[in-house]
Amino acid sequence: MSDENEITRRDFMGVSILVMGSVIGLGFLIPAIAYIIGPALQRKESQEWIRLGSTSKVETGVPTLFKVKIEEQTGWIVNEEELSVYVLTDNGRDYIAMTNICSHLGCRVRWIADENKFFCPCHNAIFDERGLVVSGPPPKPLFRYNVKVEEDQLFIKEG
Amino acid sequence: MTSLGNWLDERVGWRQVWETIFLRKVPKINWFYALGSASLFLALNQGITGILLTIYYVPTPDHAYDSVQFITTQLPAGWLIRGLHHWGASAMVIVVVLHMIRVILYGAYKYPREVTWFTGVLLLLIVVGFGFTGYLLPWDQKAFWATTVGTLIAGTPPWIGDWVLRVIRGGQDLSAITLARFFGVHVWVLPAALSILIAVHLYLVVKIGISAIPKRERKDNEREG
Repeated sequence: MSDENEITRRDFMGVSILVMGSVIGLGFLIPAIAYIIGPALQRKESQEWIRLGSTSKVETGVPTLFKVKIEEQTGWIVNEEELSVYVLTDNGRDYIAMTNICSHLGCRVRWIADENKFFCPCHNAIFDERGLVVSGPPPKPLFRYNVKVEEDQLFIKEG
Repeated sequence: MTSLGNWLDERVGWRQVWETIFLRKVPKINWFYALGSASLFLALNQGITGILLTIYYVPTPDHAYDSVQFITTQLPAGWLIRGLHHWGASAMVIVVVLHMIRVILYGAYKYPREVTWFTGVLLLLIVVGFGFTGYLLPWDQKAFWATTVGTLIAGTPPWIGDWVLRVIRGGQDLSAITLARFFGVHVWVLPAALSILIAVHLYLVVKIGISAIPKRERKDNEREG
């Protein structure tokens, strides 16, 4: 700047270009961020009751595996997914429904009847029949669904 | 801020580059000289929005149309990103042609700027190639039939026509192979070629300097001078 109070033409143009460039840049950046993170913001926790099957299949004291097909929409693709749920009852009235997804890093656990434990093959996690951690790295028990029984049919819900 | 600039300048010498590119002397010119910069801006727009579109777009017959619909109707600002790419493509062709017309009418292609002109001609062809390959990607009726027609036109030359058609389509019919190769050309081959040629084109613009507006009545001026 030649004079302290005077803005030169060159300075004015420089600032103008900077301002316009920033506006255009933000015009790209903001929609781009919204566009990229958009699908991540959609929580797709299903709020509907899913029918598992008859309560008569559940043996008392032993986690019983139910497999149920659900339709899931991801992006533009609708695909059928299989949900595996272990159901446990001690008295034939109260039921616990647990996911087979390990609470450590998402591998699938399996009920080993001989050991009376759930076993995860990935990092040797062991859960008891109620899904509580016995040993290994998992930070918390197996996820439990909400359960209801209607006319001898078991229903589960995520939330 | 200035000290950071100085620190960096001592090590990478950016100031000289900055001055050479942005503070170079230009003759007295008019707004038609902005058409080249406008082309560059549109190319950047196409690059940014194009990269964003590839995040969701899938170039196969069973997913292309649905993924484009997903982008347009389901994603936040998806309509905007696709719209900018769609309309930017048309604007690109128009602005690039206007830029060429300006260069022709002002005789700016003459010595010593012939190589700048050659690269410009190649850039125009690349832009047309972008338009042709990009048109197929939404995989809707318009895209399918426009490419059917376009590739058949490419197949009209005698002797080699049928071979050209088959190479462009990747077989006799318009198929998954056609869509995949158009996508590959559109997002890899052409952008690479465009980037390299823009770099050469701009290097020459900076190196040689731009031409002044041709003067009328040159003889009168010469007599006075």
